[in-house]
Amino acid sequence: MRAAQRTAELSNLQFSLLLALPVLVFLLLVVAYPLGYALWMSLHEISFFGGYKAVFVGVEHFADVIGDRKFKKSLWVTVRFTLESVALAMVAGLLIALVLNRKMRFAGLVRTIVILPWCISLYGTGVIFSYLAKGQTGIGTAIAYALGIEEAVNVVNKQWVIEVLAVGNAWNMAPLVAFFLLANLKTIPSRLYDLAAIDRMSRLETFLNVTLPPLRFTLFVFTCITTVLSMKLFDFIFVLSGGGPGTASATLTYRIYKESFKDLDLGYGAAMSFMLLALILGTTLILYGLWGRREARSI
Amino acid sequence: MSIRLSTIWSWLALAVVLIWTLLPLYWFLKNSLLTPDEIARFPPPLYPLEPTPAAFFNIFGLDYEMADGIVRRGSGQANQIIRGLGNSLIVSAVVTVVTLFVVLPLAYVFARLDFPHKNKLLFAILLAVALPPVSTLIPFYAMYVRLGLSGTLVGLIIVTLTITIPFVTWMLIGYFRNLPQVERLARIDGFSRFETFLKIIVPQGRSGVAVAAVIAFLFSWNEYTYALMLVNGTTANTLPTAISGFLFQHPEPSHLAAAVALTMVPPALVAFFLQRHIAEMNLVDPVR
Repeated sequence: MRAAQRTAELSNLQFSLLLALPVLVFLLLVVAYPLGYALWMSLHEISFFGGYKAVFVGVEHFADVIGDRKFKKSLWVTVRFTLESVALAMVAGLLIALVLNRKMRFAGLVRTIVILPWCISLYGTGVIFSYLAKGQTGIGTAIAYALGIEEAVNVVNKQWVIEVLAVGNAWNMAPLVAFFLLANLKTIPSRLYDLAAIDRMSRLETFLNVTLPPLRFTLFVFTCITTVLSMKLFDFIFVLSGGGPGTASATLTYRIYKESFKDLDLGYGAAMSFMLLALILGTTLILYGLWGRREARSI
Repeated sequence: MSIRLSTIWSWLALAVVLIWTLLPLYWFLKNSLLTPDEIARFPPPLYPLEPTPAAFFNIFGLDYEMADGIVRRGSGQANQIIRGLGNSLIVSAVVTVVTLFVVLPLAYVFARLDFPHKNKLLFAILLAVALPPVSTLIPFYAMYVRLGLSGTLVGLIIVTLTITIPFVTWMLIGYFRNLPQVERLARIDGFSRFETFLKIIVPQGRSGVAVAAVIAFLFSWNEYTYALMLVNGTTANTLPTAISGFLFQHPEPSHLAAAVALTMVPPALVAFFLQRHIAEMNLVDPVR
């Protein structure tokens, strides 16, 4: 009887396999296969014109990428854009969360409005911020004229374009950060604030000692998430600035797009995309080593 | 006095948050209500002086007669917009359904059961989340060119799944993990494992499942990078690529704004639901 029961009942492993195996096979197809194919392509010179041809070139593409001045410039653009985006998104997210955490009327409506920027698309965000920042249509121009300064204010220029991109990106990402921080804030017992008041803590001390500690792991995770999202961002940059003016905002993603789909140098683009992947994984690992491990242990 | 001061501060903070959120949206969307006259004006007007809904008719190819008798003609790109709208709806609906079918069992297994190499596989899913779309696109593009899948909805659907599946799986793992541990009780009541999953876990976690569906739909609806490279300029054009027609070729701000407003309808419809439930999806937990 027991033996019969055992055969009828699936073990954990069998059940997991039964449910997950088809899915994992699918995932392998959509993730591992393209990655493998990309690796193969990065080692070949691929040409479409005059028939499909692939010639093995070894690590030549990788060597070329490392020696490429445009690659180094794009790397720097990506790093600067990411640092600014992440800092802005985290600060804005935290501030929004603190504001939403107050008791207020119409809380549902306010929160519905606040989450909107995250719900709309990145190309939409790109269009919105290009209208906001460019001289012809920009809000800067309107304000300047209202103040009597008769001059167009265009911030999509060589000097400021990356900052414009970072603000738009942070505008899009901040709600996600805010809503997860808000969920953490709600778990802080209000009694702790009473105790802080009894201890005559200043607002800053209360914030640092009561509010911040339970948020720290979430802050770490979202720093990682926003970093990854910023580094892999493409459509928003493509729509807002198209990598320009000149190459002032050509991030790595934009450069990869240009090499692969404009110049149709797929092998070279694939090699560069592995560099980007290494940058993304390397940064998250460093973040984990320097910050996340400590936070994970302290919980 | 101090109470009043802090009230003023919190109102001020709320005002800043609302302005930060709404100003960019307003500044762009007001263009959809401007007359051609106002659009050409420099400096740009702060608000529509004579708001007119003409652009919303024009993008569907309909003429609109204004109060002064001037007719604003329907957009020449109306066909593309309408087709794009249809394609976007098809792609998003199919992607949502497939994503749910794939993700629900996968996330459940990861959240509640132990099996060998679980952490490595979880890492593979997180890796898939971190993959930049431009990198994934290169092999897909080369493959599609050879298989004749570029410019087709099927091709776009497959490649869009590479975004939605990893991300939604990751969201749902944390969610399923926090549901009450009912497997043993269900077992005692004579439920098999499949029944436990289908009849207890899924209904119990319906708000999480709904968030997963909404997110999958939004990601797919908002997807632009893949569509730009794979279906732009073909009959499988989605709404965003149809719109970038005006964006890059015939700058017509009121039509552009009206069309972008159209793409924001689904996000606006789900925003209320999302703000209530998004934080239940524990993005932090699976990483721990």
